[in-house]
Amino acid sequence: MEATRTRGLRVPRGAPFVLPYLPFLIVFGIAPTIYALDLAFTNAGGGWVGFHNFVRAYDDFRFVPAFKHILIYTIVWLGALMVFVVGLALLLHGRATRVSATYRFLFYIPGALAGAAAVVIWLFMLDPTVSPGSFLLRHVLGASIFAQSIAPGNLPYIFAMIAFWTAAGGWIVVMYGALNTIPPDLEEAARIDGAGPFTIAFRLKLPLIRKWIAYMLILSFATGTQLFVEPEIVQHASFGLVPDTWSPNQLAYQQAFRYADFNVAAAIAVDLLLIGLLGAVLIVSRSGLFRAED
Amino acid sequence: MGVRLLGLGARMAILLVFAIFFVAPILWLVLAPTKSDHALVTSSPFSFGSFHNVGLAWRHLDAYSDHLYRRWIANTLVYSLSATAITLAISIPAGYGLALGKFPGRKLILSLTLVVMIMPAASLVLPIFLELNALHLIGSVFSVILPFSFFPFGVYLAYIYYATSIPPELLDAARVDGCGEWLTFRRVALPLAKPVVALVFFFSFVSNWNNFFLPYVVLADSNQYPITVGLSNLLASTPSFNPAVGGGGQTTNIFKPELALATLVAVIPVAIVFLFSQRALVRGTLGGSVKQ
Amino acid sequence: MKVKRWWLVPASLVALAAAVAALVGASTGGASSGKVSGSIEVWVDAVRLPVAKLYAKTHPNVKVKIVTYDGDGNGATTMQTKIQLWNRTGKGWPDVVFTEQANDPVWMGQPPFDFAMNLKGVFPASLLTGWPAPSLAQCTVNGRLVCLQDNLAQEVLYVNKKLMAQFGYQVPTTWQQWAALGTKVAKEHPGYIIGTVGDSYGHWLYLWPDQCPISQVVAPKTVRINSANAHCTRMASLLDPLIANKSVSTVTIFSPDFAKTYGGDDDKVLLMPGPTWYAKDIFGGTLKIPAGQMTAAMPLRWNNEPPVTGQVGGGPWVVSKHTKSVAAAIDFVKFATTSLAVKSKPGALSPGYPSYGPAATVWLKNLNKDPYFAAPPGAAMKAAAGLVWKGWSMVTYPDQPIWSNSVVTQLIAGKSLSSLLPALGKGLSNNAKAAGYRVVNK
Repeated sequence: MEATRTRGLRVPRGAPFVLPYLPFLIVFGIAPTIYALDLAFTNAGGGWVGFHNFVRAYDDFRFVPAFKHILIYTIVWLGALMVFVVGLALLLHGRATRVSATYRFLFYIPGALAGAAAVVIWLFMLDPTVSPGSFLLRHVLGASIFAQSIAPGNLPYIFAMIAFWTAAGGWIVVMYGALNTIPPDLEEAARIDGAGPFTIAFRLKLPLIRKWIAYMLILSFATGTQLFVEPEIVQHASFGLVPDTWSPNQLAYQQAFRYADFNVAAAIAVDLLLIGLLGAVLIVSRSGLFRAED
Repeated sequence: MGVRLLGLGARMAILLVFAIFFVAPILWLVLAPTKSDHALVTSSPFSFGSFHNVGLAWRHLDAYSDHLYRRWIANTLVYSLSATAITLAISIPAGYGLALGKFPGRKLILSLTLVVMIMPAASLVLPIFLELNALHLIGSVFSVILPFSFFPFGVYLAYIYYATSIPPELLDAARVDGCGEWLTFRRVALPLAKPVVALVFFFSFVSNWNNFFLPYVVLADSNQYPITVGLSNLLASTPSFNPAVGGGGQTTNIFKPELALATLVAVIPVAIVFLFSQRALVRGTLGGSVKQ
Repeated sequence: MKVKRWWLVPASLVALAAAVAALVGASTGGASSGKVSGSIEVWVDAVRLPVAKLYAKTHPNVKVKIVTYDGDGNGATTMQTKIQLWNRTGKGWPDVVFTEQANDPVWMGQPPFDFAMNLKGVFPASLLTGWPAPSLAQCTVNGRLVCLQDNLAQEVLYVNKKLMAQFGYQVPTTWQQWAALGTKVAKEHPGYIIGTVGDSYGHWLYLWPDQCPISQVVAPKTVRINSANAHCTRMASLLDPLIANKSVSTVTIFSPDFAKTYGGDDDKVLLMPGPTWYAKDIFGGTLKIPAGQMTAAMPLRWNNEPPVTGQVGGGPWVVSKHTKSVAAAIDFVKFATTSLAVKSKPGALSPGYPSYGPAATVWLKNLNKDPYFAAPPGAAMKAAAGLVWKGWSMVTYPDQPIWSNSVVTQLIAGKSLSSLLPALGKGLSNNAKAAGYRVVNK
């Protein structure tokens, strides 16, 4: 496409609109990222040390357990998102708007809670002496006291559940909005052709919201692997039963702020970044997220 | 016919089960401040206590450290609204430019935005802190508002929205009519962006409201805390969760009902914002704006 | 970051302040409000907030800014984060900090944090003699006095006099008698308990008094951690049958579960090894045990070995070396630790046993008068103050979380304490090494 001519100046179309965003992107996005990358490959004095920080991070006795935890957590987390968020959005779409809106509102309410607030609620929900779900706690988790609810083996599932509880509503809203961009005539046409609700949902609607699903998965994969607030606050409230280095991000935080070792912290962060990038690349290439047409 | 009913029933059942999952804890939260600390443990989780207990809980909460709680709420409102205003002003046009423009570096900026979104916050906070320090902003509210204003997620939402919902013919129609780029944006693209503006406003506001890590690191003074950091501070003062090794936590009067009330009140502003964004979030169709 | 020569200013201030402090005098808890002025920022936890507020009220010449934080409770690292960031920006340090973690001053007093002021020579020497020697030793890092303990937290044996009399039991004086009683209780009165190991400081209550060497600094940056030592294994063997027959609980005293099961009107707490600050706050407040039941007795000893006991906390006050108002900061700490306006009565202002001797005497007198107790608990507390085993050192890393997540979680799952000692030792070693210590067995 040609650049537009504005009073003789050839300004690339669209560029001026992006300009106000750029300083923020640079100051709060790119510059810190570069600095963090720099920290990962240098030592406290600024000298280049290659992969030394990464080795030291790996050698920390908490490194491997933290990544094991986050692996299980991410699998459960993404699975729940993929199945339940998309499923619920599809279930809601096409129903009477008011019923649908009510459900969406109900699903969304937990998302309004600050990370800290959501965890506080779940501290109560996981305590069999106080919780309305004590029956489930006793029979699903085998827990009759709080300390049993947060037994080490349960943690990935509990954190995934808390994260799902707060995030699902928001993503359902996004998916629902995405579904609304589908022209209704397409659906009508399919219905006239005899397609049942399942067919319409899975073969018509689902592929059309591919970009949004991809976006959700990329972000959720990254935020999942970077889990911090839930284990941190449960740790505060558990009298220490949950370690403060349960997740890799927590370990990075401790390295940076407890041991004053920003270099190892940055190395762990780069590890997490690479994992997130890998996920993003995979998802982007498979869904065509960046194609401007379509 | 039977299969249809079964399908309908299954649909309702699934929606209902999830509704209970999402709502029951909130219902518990709403009812918790009406009960005393003792009653929370002994009576039914969904029983109603009394309004008197709520008043009591509020008085205890408000008395904590000289009305610190009120200050936290006020802070959070200021931070969230200011930052969201800036976010909207920069992200909507940016999404538009990235989706419908064509200039060198377009893909680069998109990729960088995505990469930055994936970069773990813990690693970005320290460099941001150092930058803010160099700009002498540490201690001012801008140390929180400016970083909050950078909301790449919003840019991406706007980008996807413009890329998928606005046909370029619409813009060409405006350009053919003689509109320059800015007028095209203002007259055509912006009015059609109401749904995504609502979405970005909403997510930006909620994200700012819920942000914990940056304010925790950057703000030393508890008087400047937003409600998230404040809540964890409050949690640390609740004897049943954080027994002061040294005893005496009972005098702060922060127990389960107060904590529940603090959490509940912190939710209200966001709930209000959601209610208002609901209308615009439902709409998303174009409604015949392209000349056939 | 750039290094400015800021240390010249506080150094000369300290010299000046030392002279001033000597002149202002060593009155015991007297109000020196007319003489001291300045402006200080004080960081306290919620429990010490009333003290800070009282100081501000009674010292109008001093401008006091109070900030409440989590007090670094239960092994939190809040202060480390903050001090690090302040060090990086070169400004922002508060003048006085209270922390619940007794080991915080150890890293505060050394590089890279290097936050704590040396109080020797600055704090009135005549007042310092009021602190017990072990307390001052605990606050001494590399020869510098980097903190002053606010309260002592020596362990005693709490006794439910009413229930013990009701069941016809004798108060034990040794761990062996205590264990034997536990076996009896499990048979005759199941459901009643003689202690709990489920607190985050369970090891301080049971391993410390038996001189288990798992936190013993033997040389600079070298710590002895040997959880296989006889002192550790024999206590674990003593406890295991009691944990199994449930006369010793695995739930922390602070959880609602504990309060529901063992507290209230028909409480089931027969005996409880615990620190001085349990007193009325925990038994009357948290557990709601009615008045006329509890009292304190001498801590248990191992057979007829010399008596030693453990310690649970006893938070310190730390003065920042960067402070520009040394006189006011010292005055504040003096007020908080020695003033009778603060320390005379057990209550909101002084929930724990004051570490300053003269104040402790008054505090104990009032404690003994309190009608809550079945018998005056003060004598046992006073006697126990000097019995805290010196072989457990403060180190730069918190050990509560290690006990909690490698031992307590597994005790709750049903494992024996003896089987968990190796994991405890390993966890402590790992953390020690990560914190830069060399770990030895002997």
